[in-house]
Amino acid sequence: MKKRVGIFLGSLVVLFLLAGCGDDENVIQFWTPLTGEDGAYMDQLVSDYNDTDPEFPVNHVITSDMYTQIYTVLNSGSGIPDLTLIHADRVPSFVKNNLLVSMDTVMETQPELKADNYIAEAWNAGIVDDVQYTIPLDIHGSAMYYNKDLLEKYGVTHWLDDDVVTFDEMLELEGKLDEGQYVLNDALIGWVALAQLQNFGGDIEGANGEPTVNTPEMRQVIEALRELNEAGLMTPYGEDGYLMFQSGDVIFSTDGTWSSTAHAEVESLNFGVTNIYSPSADVFHNRSSAHLFSMLKSEERTDEKEQGIADFLEFIRQNSIEWAKAGQIVASRDIIESPDYDQFIQSFFTRDEKQEASLYIYTYEHYPYVAEAVDNYIPDVVHGEIEIDDALNEMQRFVDDRVAEGDTELEEAAEAVE
Amino acid sequence: MNRTKYTQWFFIGPHMLLFLVFILVPSIYGVYASFTRWNLVSSPQWVGLDNYKTILFNQDSSFYHEFFNGLKNTLIFVGISVPLMVIIPLLIAVAIEHKDVKFKNFFQSIVYIPGLISISAAALIWSLIFNTQLGIVSNLFGSEFAWSATQPYAWIIIFVITVWGGTGGNMIIYRASISNVSKDLYESAEIDGAGPIQKFFHITLPSIRFPLIYTVVMTTAGAFNVFGQPLMMTDGGPRESTTVLMMYIRNLAFSHGESIAGIASAMAVLLGMIILVISACQYYVMNRNAA
Amino acid sequence: MKTAKVSKYLAYLFLITVSAIWIIPMIFGIATSFRSQAEVVNVGFRLLPVNWIVDNYMAILDNTSTAPILRWIWNSIFIATTHTLLVIVVISITGYGYSRMNFKGRDVLFFTLLGISFFPNVVNIIPSYRIIDILGWVNTPWAMIVPGLAGMGNIFLVRQFMKGIPIELDESARVDGASNFRIYFSVILPLIKPVLIVAGLFSFIGSWNDFLWPVIVYTDVQKMPVTAGLLLLQDIYGNYRLIGQLMGSAILAIIPTMLLFLFAQKYFVSAINLNSGIKG
Repeated sequence: MKKRVGIFLGSLVVLFLLAGCGDDENVIQFWTPLTGEDGAYMDQLVSDYNDTDPEFPVNHVITSDMYTQIYTVLNSGSGIPDLTLIHADRVPSFVKNNLLVSMDTVMETQPELKADNYIAEAWNAGIVDDVQYTIPLDIHGSAMYYNKDLLEKYGVTHWLDDDVVTFDEMLELEGKLDEGQYVLNDALIGWVALAQLQNFGGDIEGANGEPTVNTPEMRQVIEALRELNEAGLMTPYGEDGYLMFQSGDVIFSTDGTWSSTAHAEVESLNFGVTNIYSPSADVFHNRSSAHLFSMLKSEERTDEKEQGIADFLEFIRQNSIEWAKAGQIVASRDIIESPDYDQFIQSFFTRDEKQEASLYIYTYEHYPYVAEAVDNYIPDVVHGEIEIDDALNEMQRFVDDRVAEGDTELEEAAEAVE
Repeated sequence: MNRTKYTQWFFIGPHMLLFLVFILVPSIYGVYASFTRWNLVSSPQWVGLDNYKTILFNQDSSFYHEFFNGLKNTLIFVGISVPLMVIIPLLIAVAIEHKDVKFKNFFQSIVYIPGLISISAAALIWSLIFNTQLGIVSNLFGSEFAWSATQPYAWIIIFVITVWGGTGGNMIIYRASISNVSKDLYESAEIDGAGPIQKFFHITLPSIRFPLIYTVVMTTAGAFNVFGQPLMMTDGGPRESTTVLMMYIRNLAFSHGESIAGIASAMAVLLGMIILVISACQYYVMNRNAA
Repeated sequence: MKTAKVSKYLAYLFLITVSAIWIIPMIFGIATSFRSQAEVVNVGFRLLPVNWIVDNYMAILDNTSTAPILRWIWNSIFIATTHTLLVIVVISITGYGYSRMNFKGRDVLFFTLLGISFFPNVVNIIPSYRIIDILGWVNTPWAMIVPGLAGMGNIFLVRQFMKGIPIELDESARVDGASNFRIYFSVILPLIKPVLIVAGLFSFIGSWNDFLWPVIVYTDVQKMPVTAGLLLLQDIYGNYRLIGQLMGSAILAIIPTMLLFLFAQKYFVSAINLNSGIKG
């Protein structure tokens, strides 16, 4: 009996060890953070590409904690992926830390991988000091979904006429809502606040490159959002406003472009998409991010492989209509200009130049810290849990302290002087 | 006799090797990192005690605020969850081991099985139950507000999910220990006229002292490292009142911005020292009792 | 015997209340795995679904490329079982060394190791990963099985338990000419069975539920344990939006551990006796 268990375990061990082998040098290891449904769409794209029998086939690896994993493989120096799909806000610090390889070879191999063929905001997110470090896959970001039935019920469908719902319009419904119904939820409210910051003419970067959070414009943003909440229009603090939208009790849900697929699962929900609300119909922004193909520094990646990567990216450029199914705004112009793309709800955001210009990606080096502060404090301050002054001060301090801590260059300079 | 002199290595050697490789070396690195400025990418820069000075004494720093707020919340969690995680399983174990109670394994299974479910699914179940619109709790209590965003209810839902998922393990140990207490002790106490409560305090508790102390020590160490439950139930809110230290540490080290691993390591070392002191006290008690 | 009756009813009352509180969320979770997303968001709180659907389970089992859940469960069974068996070997041998062998600095060494093991291993994952990488264990079950063997908590438990076993037992065996290994194997090992079962049970569950470390050491979706795999079902911003599917996956994932528990629990009460090893 014991012997049998031993043999059984032994053979298992052998099985697992064998399964560990089989890494092919000619395979492009491609890491993405695309968990959930998104991963399945990317899998489909990759497998379509591999069906074309390329010299360098692609192996798609989905990781649920990709950036931590990137740090660990970079530190240990092996297992570094050949191609990585990163978010736009990571580019500045990755470049600063010298982690990325430029796309020059890739762009030479496939001349169609060029600025003209992509949405400008997505392309430009990969440029640091005039060097192109990334090729974009998509833009994804804030979107505002509306419940058509509720708009009609309250007789406010005309709000959508100019494609921008304003604060003032929403305030018209103060005191006129049925019990348990709301005009808007607070999903992704941090992103909404960052879009409003643009609408109010503010910014997060000072004249000398320092982070600016405690600004008059940020105060205006907070006050305006607070007004909506105090008027009883916003779903209460701590409620899952996203689910409340799906249950049909909220007119507007300010979540992400990718949510359209999940909303579509709820048959009872009759919804459409528009821009994030704004103070005026003339100026409006949708705070966005982008998924960007990039190559981490690695000694193992050969020039031939880079050419293989170029072929794959060119394939993606031509065929990423599959990616539109994930709800994202595809970055390739060939795709968004094709008639097939119009069936997707997110084609709203690229239908004209003005719409395209509303997609705003923050590229400031310390943006991630600012976004973290905004995500931490905005829900509390909008719902009146914390005073505006305190929130602004604490957010500024939060960012300043982190920036100072990460500023290793300054420290090195100081040491050199000593 | 050289042979006997070194036989201890046969027994402690293999584990010692494992310890060196998988705990000591990484820990030394972690402590070293706490004296540096490090973003996990470029090489760490030695800054001496700067990180500790900032965390412990610089009242203007957000790291000071985060450390002490996180520590306060961690201590609240430990202070309340550990007694709950000992008393509730103990009561259940005593009830199950009541000599006239049947279906013992049935009751035990019901209490134990929730502990097997993954934390994310458990959190989702409970957030739906506590959801004001869809859930049952607000109907039951007639509350109009979201529990996860109002204190002290935010803490309450964290404790509810913690106790729901974590009672089973300790309960099994207690139940087994109670069932192994000699029946003679109870019978002679009954002859002396002792009631159920006296029997519990004078016979049951002293007899299961060792398992009791063991579970207290392990539960405490686990509670200090908590972060899953608050992260998923309240996301640390409202106003960071349920953000525990491990959440701050993980955020500093592995958030969206450049990593601030030096400060994170220093906080982890400080937390480790606190756990060490508290565990040392508990072990001291345990050792004295077991000797 | 009137008090006995009263206390019996009190015990039942208490247990039934507790069971209700414990089981309702489980039933609700299981029921949710049979609901459509539309029903989850639209119908107020109902314990059981209005329309039972198996679509969630179909979708889960259908997806064998990005979320091969049966494969994950199998991986977890292999990892947790192997880990548990090795834990039992390591802690019993090491526990013997620290309680029965006499050598200089034994207790100082033991408590030093114990103290070191208390430090939370947050940034330690960078060096830990590097070690796993050097050993060539990335994407293999060894990355999950071996590092946990270095832990001190269970060794402490075993050592403490062994201290309660009368030393005379060893000595009489020694007089008969038994070696240390013989004493460990034939005298001590049978006596510490209860504590090894406790340690084994907790190691198994601990290994099964760990989700931070596996996320780092696995990139191959086919080789992951189930807890790391379930994280892949969330959306890109960390939310589980398809609620019924997540519930279904979580329910499938607990079936093996639940069966193990239901099978093993009848042995627990007789086998786990932590009191007896301790001198009063």
